[in-house]
Amino acid sequence: MQLMFKYITSICFLFFVVKGYTQNQQKEISIDSKTDSVVYKTNYGLRLGVDISKPIMSQFNSTYGGFELVGDYRLSKTFYAAIEVGFEEETTLEDFTNSTSKGNYIRLGFNVNAYKNWLDMNNEIFVGYRYGFSLFDQTLNSYVPNVNTTYFPANTILTPLTTNDLTAHWSELVFGFRAETFKNFFISVSGSYKILMNIKDPENFKTLYAPGFNRIFESGTGFGFNYTLTYLIPFQKK
Amino acid sequence: MKKIMLLLGVFLVIITSCEKDDYCIKNPVTPHLIVRFYDDSNKETLKGVDELYVWAAEKDSIFSNVKTDSISLPLNSNATKTVYYFSNGTTVDSFTISYTPKEEFVSRSCGFKMTFEEVSFSSDSFWIKNFTPTTLTTIDSQNAAHVQIYH
Repeated sequence: MQLMFKYITSICFLFFVVKGYTQNQQKEISIDSKTDSVVYKTNYGLRLGVDISKPIMSQFNSTYGGFELVGDYRLSKTFYAAIEVGFEEETTLEDFTNSTSKGNYIRLGFNVNAYKNWLDMNNEIFVGYRYGFSLFDQTLNSYVPNVNTTYFPANTILTPLTTNDLTAHWSELVFGFRAETFKNFFISVSGSYKILMNIKDPENFKTLYAPGFNRIFESGTGFGFNYTLTYLIPFQKK
Repeated sequence: MKKIMLLLGVFLVIITSCEKDDYCIKNPVTPHLIVRFYDDSNKETLKGVDELYVWAAEKDSIFSNVKTDSISLPLNSNATKTVYYFSNGTTVDSFTISYTPKEEFVSRSCGFKMTFEEVSFSSDSFWIKNFTPTTLTTIDSQNAAHVQIYH
């Protein structure tokens, strides 16, 4: 109940902040547009960086390890082609099973910036789409059959069973914010909702975690989070 | 910048608020053996045992002095047979269930269940007159009785 409350409060908080932010900006634009007719140019180019949330999570969580490189290329004023490649390893502890997924992934897609910048600022509130593909192995480290009796308790089976070359294909919707903090240096935070399109499960078991997709829920959906630091290599201004 | 940091904080709260959301609600996961007791002279009629004791070899009683016509017994998934002793208070019959245990994955929260295949039953016949069937292809659910004992 308390968690629920925390959850709702934080969501309210989120909308409150977003609203305050946009109103502030609009006011300034309207004042400025009356006196200024200069067209401000912004940088176009290739933006490269890393997701720093994954190495940080690896430090605090002994069952997780991951690394992700991100990049995007600006195609028009609001449209960016985006790519993410990475490696992830995660051990899933459940009541009756313990399994590890390990592998590489790639996500390809685009972002559309919905934020109208003031002057030559280059911030973003973006929405996007990604197609994701992951190639990974899953090892069932140990399990205990769920026999629901204490009269004949089941033995824990400790022989690891690895299935190689598992694949997952998915689609995801991305929503995030990006701010230029220093010249050509960006910080971005985004979340994503993923829908599984196709998955190869191990025989007589299930893929509980796919790299790049995260935990696979019963309905074949998942959630992702990115916190990236990127640097823009400017090619031209327009 | 401050606003971005604030948003980041909000996101972190949302992410950390997630907790275990699925519990195994399937019950039972691994089926038990369902035994029903019938009248030997009138095979259509259920006939309870007035004073039933049940225990497995080298184990404590699982049922002790109960009056019932239906019992559910767990099977040993680490072996290929389970030997139970049925007593009606005065005489003891052994009842042996032989099978091949198989593991079957159910779900993330429920894990693996056991199913028992190529099941066969055998029994002494001091107070148990007869039973049916003598073989079963599989025990994978407990929607209906698996074996009927006539006494």
